Amino acid sequence: MVILREGICPGINEDFIKALQSEDIRTVEDFVSFNPEELAQKCSLSYKALVAVRRVLLAQCTAFPVSAADLYEELLSSTAILSTGSPSLDKLLDSGLYTGEITELIGSPGSGKTQVCFSVAVNMSHQLKQTVFYIDTRGGVCANRLLQMLQTSTPDMEEQMEALKKIKVFRVFDVFSLLACLQNLRSNGLQKASVGGGSVKALMVDSVSAVLSSMLGGKQNEGMSLMMQVAGEMKMIAKDFNIAVLVTNHVTKDGNGHLKAGLGQSWSHVPRTRVLLQRVENAETPSLRTATLTKSSRQACRLVEEFDLCHWSEERSTSISAKRKLESSKP
Amino acid sequence: MTARVRMAENGAQLVSRLEGRPSLRDIEPNIFPVDSGPRQGDVVEFHGMEGAGKTETLYHLIIRCIMPVQNGGLEVGVVFIDTDYHFDMLRLVSALEGRLAEDLKESDGSENEPEERVRSCLRRLSVVHCNSSVQLLLTLHYLENTFSSQPSVGLLVIDSISAFYWVDRFSGGESTVCQEANLRKCTELLDRLRRNYGIVVFATTHAIMRNYGSDPGVSDVPCSSSSSLLSSSHRWRSAESAADFDKPYLCRAWQRIVTHRMLFTKSPVSKDHKQVFSTACTSIMTKGVKRCSFHVMEDGIKFVCDK
Repeated sequence: MVILREGICPGINEDFIKALQSEDIRTVEDFVSFNPEELAQKCSLSYKALVAVRRVLLAQCTAFPVSAADLYEELLSSTAILSTGSPSLDKLLDSGLYTGEITELIGSPGSGKTQVCFSVAVNMSHQLKQTVFYIDTRGGVCANRLLQMLQTSTPDMEEQMEALKKIKVFRVFDVFSLLACLQNLRSNGLQKASVGGGSVKALMVDSVSAVLSSMLGGKQNEGMSLMMQVAGEMKMIAKDFNIAVLVTNHVTKDGNGHLKAGLGQSWSHVPRTRVLLQRVENAETPSLRTATLTKSSRQACRLVEEFDLCHWSEERSTSISAKRKLESSKP
Repeated sequence: MTARVRMAENGAQLVSRLEGRPSLRDIEPNIFPVDSGPRQGDVVEFHGMEGAGKTETLYHLIIRCIMPVQNGGLEVGVVFIDTDYHFDMLRLVSALEGRLAEDLKESDGSENEPEERVRSCLRRLSVVHCNSSVQLLLTLHYLENTFSSQPSVGLLVIDSISAFYWVDRFSGGESTVCQEANLRKCTELLDRLRRNYGIVVFATTHAIMRNYGSDPGVSDVPCSSSSSLLSSSHRWRSAESAADFDKPYLCRAWQRIVTHRMLFTKSPVSKDHKQVFSTACTSIMTKGVKRCSFHVMEDGIKFVCDK
């Protein structure tokens, strides 16, 4: 709720507020719900002043409608598809991570979610030359491992250092610091980064369930509210700054024994695309993984691709082929 | 801009209020019960789990509204309120292009280029993003002006109206009245808008509450459970016995203004990778349930209804 205070808009002074409080109107929502003519009679305030204040408050606090044609033009020019560096994963994601959306990676422990995040970050900073913000909630980011991955793509030390500089790591270990970090990024961090020469196109949160799952459960409403606020911040960052957001989450089993994403029903509405990572059983190479598309608005679900964590940019011909793949029709 | 007050209206507003809005009754006979398509002032709730096809169906209906009459559309203006940044413009446009292209095959080629036709359709749609229930309320107040001054706008879509449920529930503290206050005010405003201006409201709600009271074997299960603070009204019986996520959880004021309720479910993925989505529509005007199934293809929805 937005409390009416003096200075919130021109025309509201202390007497004005006192007169309204006598009618038990303390918040902006209460104020706009009343008809100005009735208020003028009850509170003995000037009708013109009430109407003017109402107009200004609405103009300040409302969201304005945008014509869909303009929105479409803007999206066409600003949406980008960021390749993950792995042809199999790109096929699954319909050429890569889309900016303006949240993509979720789920899998059991050891299935390779963090390694995939590293590989994607390294690809973006080195091949695509974009800055990547990496929010680490589990202490899993290891600069040596990132360097090792870079060393396989290029032997040049300069290039490796340049790429490492483009990966900015934030360490947060509880949900309040995560919220503060996201709000900070949204208010000044991202603009500063893009002004400084690099452009930020990707944000990774590894993992979002590590900080949220301890807050959920029982009769705590706070946990659910915090979860939806985290979701809201990430979506605003994705949409307003045209950034691709990649989050990782754990898995649980549903009633039929199938794997599904953790954090419950309310979180399941948040990501636009969801990929399930699993180990390949009885494989000769221990680094083989399968990725299954479990939620997508662009492709048929249940597409499966196989890939090797150690050979990220190699194409693998998979034995499980998708029966139906819809062609993307976007220019 | 002159001040607009509820009591006095200028001539244009009077005409727009009395003239009535374009009718949406034939918007989609497949999913609405016979003779019970959305009339002016109806409120339709789209309820279902994630990935069950609610947004796809919404886009399908919106496209039907914004397309020109010669392509089978209704040429009705639409206002789309997006509360969880879920609006996928690219998906909407690809479905729109698909529909326009398929209608083009039947008629003789028109002079307009496809791009221009898409743009002229999109001009009938406007999109607003809200990120809190207070902003939703204030935006609805602001939109009242839009509805009164534009008689061609006939549909308001809110996707989704349950987006702020948890945040409001926590910030309201212990009192249910405080928790539901914002949504209740929004609902009262929606009620006034639909009665005064005759617009149709489509709103989606996520299915997030488990219906623990339901017994999967019994088909007519009452939805009210006495233990829940935000318990539902008694009007809506569970349309699908297998759907144990269909418990209504929004405030009572909302339950009262809903006239049609559509429950979306999806089948488990079959062997040929084709997923079947189904809707079950109940309305306060008719008895019984209208069921329908559809597939989601690249250019929108394809119904597999048997009449």
